[in-house]
Amino acid sequence: MTIRARVTWCNAALLLCSLVLIAVLSLAELHERHERRPRAAERGMEEIIEITFWIGVPAVLLSIGGGWWLMRKALAPVTALSRAAERINEFNLSQPLPRTGNGDELDRLAEVLNGMTARLDGSFARVREFTLHASHELKTPLTILRGETETELRDESLSPAQRERAASRLDELRRLSRIVDGLTLLTKADAGLVPLELAPVRLDDLARDSFADAQILAETLGLRVECGELPAVTVAGNAHRLRQLLLNILDNAIKYNQPQGWVRLALRRAGETAELTVANSGPGIAPDILPRVFDRFFRGDPAHSSAVEGCGLGLSIAQWIVTAHGGSIEIASAPGKSTTVTVRLPFLMTTA
Amino acid sequence: MRILVVEDERKTASFIRKALQAEGFAVDTCGNGDDALALAQSTPFDVIVLDIMLPGRDGLSVVRQLRKGKNATPVLLLSARGEVNERVEGLDAGADDYLPKPFELAELIARVRALTRRGGENKSTMLRVGDLLLDTLTRQAQRGGQAITLTTREYRLLEFLMRSGGRLCGRMMILEKVWDYDFDPGTNLVDVYVRRLREKIDAGLGPKLLHTVRGSGYVMKEMP
Repeated sequence: MTIRARVTWCNAALLLCSLVLIAVLSLAELHERHERRPRAAERGMEEIIEITFWIGVPAVLLSIGGGWWLMRKALAPVTALSRAAERINEFNLSQPLPRTGNGDELDRLAEVLNGMTARLDGSFARVREFTLHASHELKTPLTILRGETETELRDESLSPAQRERAASRLDELRRLSRIVDGLTLLTKADAGLVPLELAPVRLDDLARDSFADAQILAETLGLRVECGELPAVTVAGNAHRLRQLLLNILDNAIKYNQPQGWVRLALRRAGETAELTVANSGPGIAPDILPRVFDRFFRGDPAHSSAVEGCGLGLSIAQWIVTAHGGSIEIASAPGKSTTVTVRLPFLMTTA
Repeated sequence: MRILVVEDERKTASFIRKALQAEGFAVDTCGNGDDALALAQSTPFDVIVLDIMLPGRDGLSVVRQLRKGKNATPVLLLSARGEVNERVEGLDAGADDYLPKPFELAELIARVRALTRRGGENKSTMLRVGDLLLDTLTRQAQRGGQAITLTTREYRLLEFLMRSGGRLCGRMMILEKVWDYDFDPGTNLVDVYVRRLREKIDAGLGPKLLHTVRGSGYVMKEMP
C-alpha cells in the first residue's frame, strides 16, 4: 500500500472512530435522561441518529477524498524524485536530481541524494582513470618485452628449443597487447573519450566483406559459413568500428563451434532497423550465464574457454560499438544446438 | 641510409636501434624533443622515428616545427597514448606514418623501409613481378600467359604486395591497407589469405614470387 493510501485510510478511520464515539456518548447521555423525561429523550435520540448519518458520513467521505488529494499533492515531489533517481546509472551520475528549491524536507532529501551521487561519480571517475593509467603504464614494459623477444628471435644462433620458447613468449605478449588495447579502448569509451564520426555506411557491403573473411577463417577449421541474400541497407555508422563489430562476432561464432559445424550470417530490414544475425552450431551457452557474456573478461565455461584463444573483451567491444551507434545487441542460445547473436541498428535510409 | 630514433625510454630506443642497424641503417638516437628538433634541422636524415610523448617538446610539436621550416624528412610517429584520433592528428601535423605501441619490430622495420623509398611506389596501372602481371584497370591477373581468377580481397592484397616493389610488408600494415582495420583482430586472417593467394599465383606456375619472412611479414619479388 502506498503512503498516500495508508494515510488517507488512517485519517478516515480516525474520523469514523471519533464519530462513533460521539454518537455512543450522546446516546448514553440520552439514555440517562430517558429515565427522567422519556418523551424529550426519544426525540433527541432520533435527532442524534439523523445528524450522525447526514453530516458524519459525508464528512468521512470528504475526508477520504480530500486526504487523498492532499497527500497526492504533498508526495508529488517524492514521485518525481524517484523517477529521476531511477534514470541514474554509472554514466550520468554527474547529472543532479531536480530540486524544488523551497527548502522543505524533500528539497533537502534531493540535496543529500545529489551529494551522494556526486561522491559516487567521483569514485567511478577514479576507477576509470586508474584503469586508463594502468593500461597506459603497461604499454611501455610491453613494448620493451615484445621488442626484445623479437630481437632474440632474430638471433640465428638460437637452438630450436630456445627459439620455440621465445616464439611462445612472443605469442603471449601479443595476446597481452590485445588485452591492453581492448581495455584502453573500453575505458576511454566509458569516459566518453572515443568520439565516433558517423557517415552513411552500406551495411550489406560490410557484411559481404566480413562474410568472405569468415569463410576463409572457417575453412581451415572445416566449418561451413553461409550467408543469405543481403538487402541494401544504409545506416549512420563508423565503417571502421562496424567492420570490427562484424569480425568480432563472426570470429567468436567460428572459434566457439563444433567440428564440421556451421555459421550463418543474415541481414534483413525489420521496421525501422537493420537486423543482423550471426548464428552458429556452437555448443551453446547455459541460460544462467547468458546475461553475462557481454561482461568484460567473462568466460563462461573455464574448461571450454581455455582451448580458445581470445582476449575476453571481444563481445564487450561489440556491445560498445552497437550502443554507440544507437542500436542493440542480444544473444540467444539453445545449449547443444545453436547460438544466435542479433544486432539491431537504426536505418539511415534504404536504397531499393 | 641514416635514421634518427627519438625515444626517451632507453630500452625501447636500444632495441629499435639494434634492429635498424641489423637492417643496414646508420642509427642516431636522441631522448628529448628539443635536441631532436635541433639534430633534425642540422643533419640530413633519411627517416625520423619519433615517439610522441617526450620530455620537453612533444613529438607532434617536433613534426610541426620541422614542416614549418620546410624540412620534408619522412617521419614515423610512435605512441603509447593510444588516443583514438592520434593517427589523424599525427598525419595532420605532417607525419608520414603512425605506429601505436606496443608494436611488432618487423612492422617498424617494414614501415621505415617504406618511408626511405617514399615516392618510389609503383604508380603504374600495369604491375609486374617476374612473369606475373596485374592490370589494375581491368583487375586481371595472369602469369606466363595464364589468366588467374581472384576474389576482390585477393586482388587488393596482390595489388598492395606488388606495388610495394619488393619491400617487406608487415601484417599490421597489410591489415591497415587491404582490410582497412586499425586494430589487431587477433586472427590469422592475413596468413590464411596469403596462403590462398600463393596457391593461385605460385603453385606450379614457375619460381616462387610471394615469400614469407618468418615472424615479420611478406614480400613479393623475384628471387635471384
